Amino acid sequence: MAGNEVPFSDSLKTQANMQQSLPFQNVPKADVSDKQTLLAVLQFLKKNNLKGTEELLKREASIKDDDVRPQTSSQSETDVSHALAAYKSADDPSLFTDYYTDLKTFIESCLDAHKVELSVILYPVFIHMYLEMVYNEHESYAILFFRRFSKEQEDFYQEDLQKLATVTKKEHMKGNELMESFKASKFVIKMSRDSYNHLKRYLQENKMKPLLNIIQEHLFIDVFDGVPRTKQQIDATSGALLGESERDANKVKVFYGLLKEPDINMPLEEEDEPPEGEDKPKKKKPKKDPLMMKKSKNDPHAPAFNRIPLPEMKDQDKMEKITAYREALKRVKVGRDNPPTICFYTVLNSYQGVTSIDMSEDSSLLCAGFADSTIRVFTTSSHKLRSMKTAAELDNIDRDADDVLERMMDDRSATDSKLLTGHSGPVYAARFSRDRKYLVSCSEDGTVRLWSLLTWTNLVCYKGHNHPVWDVEFSPYGHYFVSVGHDRTARLWATDHHVPIRIFSGHLSDMDCVKFHPNSNYIATGSNDRFIRLWDILNGNCVRLFSGHKGSVQALCFSPDGRFLASSGVDSVVLLWDIATGGLMAQMKGHTDTVYSLCFSRDGGVLASGGLDNSVKLWDVIKVLQEVDTDADTSIPSSVHVNDSTGLLIGSWATKATPVLCIHFTRKNLMIASGPAALTEEKSPHKT
Amino acid sequence: MAEKEHKEQKIGSQLPGESIKVIAESVGISGIPDDAASVLAEDSSYRLKQIVQEAVKFMHHGKRHRLSTADIDHALRAQNIEPLYGFQTGDSIPFRFASGGGRELHFVEEKEFDLQEIVNSTLPKIPIDIALKAHWLCIEGVQPSIPENPPPASKDQQQKEILDTTVKTVIEKQPKVAPIPEPHKIKHKHKGITDLAKVKDLSNHELSVEQQLYYKEITEACVGPDEARRSEALQSLASDPGLHQMLPRFSTFISEGVKINVVQNNLALLIYLMRMVKSIMDNQTLYLEKYLHEFIPAVCTCIVSKQLCMRPEVDNHWALRDFAARLMGQMCKNFSTSTNNIQARITKTFTQAIQSEKAALATQYGAIAGLGEMGSEVIKSFLLPHVKDIGEKVKIVLEGPILNSADKIAAENIKKSLAKYLSPVLKALKGPSASIEDYTAEFGSLGSMLHTAVGRERKSSGNQGNQLAKIAAGTPTQERSRPTVTIPTPRSQFVIQQSSSIGNMPGTPKQVQGGIRTPGTPSIIQGGQPKTPSTPGQQKFIVMTSQARPSNNGQSDKPLSMSSGTPTVVKVMSGNPQGQIPTAVPRTPTTPKIVVMSMTQGNSSLPGQAGGNSQDLGMRSVFSEQINNIKKENENS
Repeated sequence: MAGNEVPFSDSLKTQANMQQSLPFQNVPKADVSDKQTLLAVLQFLKKNNLKGTEELLKREASIKDDDVRPQTSSQSETDVSHALAAYKSADDPSLFTDYYTDLKTFIESCLDAHKVELSVILYPVFIHMYLEMVYNEHESYAILFFRRFSKEQEDFYQEDLQKLATVTKKEHMKGNELMESFKASKFVIKMSRDSYNHLKRYLQENKMKPLLNIIQEHLFIDVFDGVPRTKQQIDATSGALLGESERDANKVKVFYGLLKEPDINMPLEEEDEPPEGEDKPKKKKPKKDPLMMKKSKNDPHAPAFNRIPLPEMKDQDKMEKITAYREALKRVKVGRDNPPTICFYTVLNSYQGVTSIDMSEDSSLLCAGFADSTIRVFTTSSHKLRSMKTAAELDNIDRDADDVLERMMDDRSATDSKLLTGHSGPVYAARFSRDRKYLVSCSEDGTVRLWSLLTWTNLVCYKGHNHPVWDVEFSPYGHYFVSVGHDRTARLWATDHHVPIRIFSGHLSDMDCVKFHPNSNYIATGSNDRFIRLWDILNGNCVRLFSGHKGSVQALCFSPDGRFLASSGVDSVVLLWDIATGGLMAQMKGHTDTVYSLCFSRDGGVLASGGLDNSVKLWDVIKVLQEVDTDADTSIPSSVHVNDSTGLLIGSWATKATPVLCIHFTRKNLMIASGPAALTEEKSPHKT
Repeated sequence: MAEKEHKEQKIGSQLPGESIKVIAESVGISGIPDDAASVLAEDSSYRLKQIVQEAVKFMHHGKRHRLSTADIDHALRAQNIEPLYGFQTGDSIPFRFASGGGRELHFVEEKEFDLQEIVNSTLPKIPIDIALKAHWLCIEGVQPSIPENPPPASKDQQQKEILDTTVKTVIEKQPKVAPIPEPHKIKHKHKGITDLAKVKDLSNHELSVEQQLYYKEITEACVGPDEARRSEALQSLASDPGLHQMLPRFSTFISEGVKINVVQNNLALLIYLMRMVKSIMDNQTLYLEKYLHEFIPAVCTCIVSKQLCMRPEVDNHWALRDFAARLMGQMCKNFSTSTNNIQARITKTFTQAIQSEKAALATQYGAIAGLGEMGSEVIKSFLLPHVKDIGEKVKIVLEGPILNSADKIAAENIKKSLAKYLSPVLKALKGPSASIEDYTAEFGSLGSMLHTAVGRERKSSGNQGNQLAKIAAGTPTQERSRPTVTIPTPRSQFVIQQSSSIGNMPGTPKQVQGGIRTPGTPSIIQGGQPKTPSTPGQQKFIVMTSQARPSNNGQSDKPLSMSSGTPTVVKVMSGNPQGQIPTAVPRTPTTPKIVVMSMTQGNSSLPGQAGGNSQDLGMRSVFSEQINNIKKENENS
């Protein structure tokens, strides 16, 4: 912020004046008296022989002096100073076009290798030139400039350009989200040293002051040693609102390993042997070992168990873990040679619109959030949903009984689905806790609500976002949950606190989705600014910044081993990231519409995706890992190869007309997908 | 690129100042100067765009493609602006367009509601509750062909398949190993036409065992005695995706079935077969164009055949003719193109039947119904000119000495049918002032009858606007009740059996085929509903006859249950000379391979033993020659 206090003014005013004229920041201080400014204006007018205006201004100023001034002094002061600034470089607007074409011809004249790298700067230069013209109220020039060059920009920037095109007046700039982002941060460009030197020489030789200004003020050029990157390499990682991620942003060590599991092996063995009999243990032992080994071995990449305080494990959780292991043993393989079996749950008659679907970890429950503010929980197993007995009835239960949990439940309330009402806007996300006792949901009404799945009531309403909350997610270890929203913050909550315990901010636009890392130490957020950030819960720092999406990020998923992150969104491309290096590993293209759901198979070998194009697609992650070049130096961007071969797609299965909002793998690797039946088919168009 | 240009157009678009003035006036501010209006327009355009951009976020999170009014409301709320109340709608709001005086206007139609009416009206039905339904999207990578899944081959693919046999393998996903051709043949071919002619791959139509079973189940149910099973089977035909592979079989089944049962005068089975045709036409996933050459003659036969039942004087074969005529009308609407000229050719056939001196009255009745279902244009140009002639014929029959009661009934029915089809057309054509004399002058003896019919039509259409549609849907009687056919259900056994005397039988649809070959009449393209004529609710034929029908075979009393016994699937190589299958599918020059499902084993009521009365037989085989083979097999086993 400190560096760019004079972003757009090419003012030749005095140093003192310049410092006050913090354009866009809108916090000018009124320490220069009104008269001084007026004098400056009048002087200017006189110099230019604009007598009519001068007199008019004099007359007006005097009137203003009397009544209006006291309130608006600071405002008008800055306005005038900028007006002056613009006048000063009266010929500028037309010159901008020349500068821009000059820059373009220079880039064209470079060697092919450098041409590709250098052409990246055209977009930010274009944007800032345009904004500068708008700011200086050369509206017609700005529009002409925009018309002439906007089509030349990369396709994936067109959406931003469209938004930018609406800004044609100085007044519009205030409060415009996109503008604020461009103003507040630098556009990051990675460039090889050779290309950078070329550019530097050109700028020095030609002395184009405005161009130099823009590059200095608004661009951050991340120079690396090595050969220049190719067009594909550049395109793979650019596209975010502000170019690419800096290399420095991804230097911090991330503990992506899984937490060491507490010792529950003992009960597992005890439990296992008696019922299974003689023949099974032999078979099971070798199979079980890799599972247990992974947990018991000390992973150097794993964070300490107590890095983040986690809740104590209860007996019930241990039981759950044991059944999870058991089921995991029966896991089937899914991959290229073992095509999956997909069960599809269609939500029927959802006239009000389904906004989110989620499945519990053990695949026994499915919840759907609706646009009419309700949440419905369905059971997918034969166990019906029951609620707890009333307090009076509970009092009569023998608390020492073995089946006390079973006795607590009221069989009369057993149904196949339960309705939760409480929100006052579309429910954009609802997620189960791992133990299936709680459900957390977020809504357009700005609240996050915690629901009990024992009593089927709302327990807590967490207020803090005040703006629509787009996504929410429970920690895999319970207790914590995180929510993200329109207010560009992610908030970490503990279920027993009514205020957030961490607030993460840094994205330039809405945070659209959030996911907990499997070890609960990190969260990943995807945003409308097309960046993905990984945050450390311990200190609230952003530890990874991924750029490469060309549209807002709507879905994230960590691989089960915690090493990789998959992401997708409006641009319908699925990207796979290596958390360890912060590099992009693979681009999976095939979807034709927004992807809303991603899920790794339980063994991590396969990634499934689904979205608005009514299809479920399966991608080969193992192949990506096999083909990755382990020798490549990840610190040099040009040596990183992004796997975008079409052979990564294992299969694609289309639904009839149902968008896929949720994909889930059961513990046995059966695939479950879900979505609402589209109504458009049934309804006839308005004829009658 | 196109998209880019499109975007370019949108950039810089703005509300016109005039709109601002109009809006200002609507809130009571008048006389805004032009400058102010244009400034306001600029700013409000910007604000509007901002709001829409914001609303798009809500659309994304609502997981939708279409921006809704609720999204706009939410976007306003997020920006701390009071949302607009009362603009909620679940549907898209169509803009109406009006122009006049050189001005164009887009507006949203807002109807005025009578509050009293809403209060007094009955409450709308409660919508069905939200439910969860599970199905297999794929099983080990293979997508099952169930209604929940998209059809394995879209109509477009099926269409391509005609032109390019390679597409087929793509559809089936499991390319079958091509049969290794005999070395001799290859040699032989290569000698003669080496590279000159590109030999088209033979596409083989082998059905999987499941498909064979399905075919068997469906065909048996469709023509079997069990009405409940039949409706299930018809439902399946009408809705199941992925039937396209069996379609050649079904079409052969129907066309052969019609041929044989026309000869046998088995009315019930003809009706069942027509219902199958209707179901198949209702199935949206099938590309029927390939099989029209089988369906059309079959349906045509059921319309114009001289005799469709054993006793024309008692049985109601009129309903079958009406039903088939509706099917034909639908086929013409759905499939007639400028290249195949179906409608023109069919129309010509019917017209010939009407004009023919020798044609039976029943045939003429069918032709009238067929033309009547083609729509008012056809009626006007092809039916009306002949009314007088028909009238004469009818008159002769009715007033002449009673030779044949069947003819008399036919004549009566023709009159009714003419009244039904002509009255809506005449109503539009003739003014209310036209007198009986005018009618008699034009239509001869039928004039007075038509006059009264038109008069009645006028009256009733005053009451109900859509009466016309109802009439077109077809009721000859004043009660506007469906024509009912009556045949005893339990007795309705099916014979698809080629009698050896097929050539001499009177009812063979010779003229039908002849007619189709002659193109020429301009086809009249009509708009209309794309679906087959469906009545509200299930179309039902109540079938009954006079109880007097003798049962000349003890076994015939017991319906040959299709499910009883162990069904066998018999693959029969047909040794039939082509002449015996007049409209057989154009097959590959090799002997056609036809799968014939035999029914219960050990059933002795085979045609030979039934003393020539094949009425009482169960469905046997499509080809008579094979019957003996099967029989032998049965005996052997």
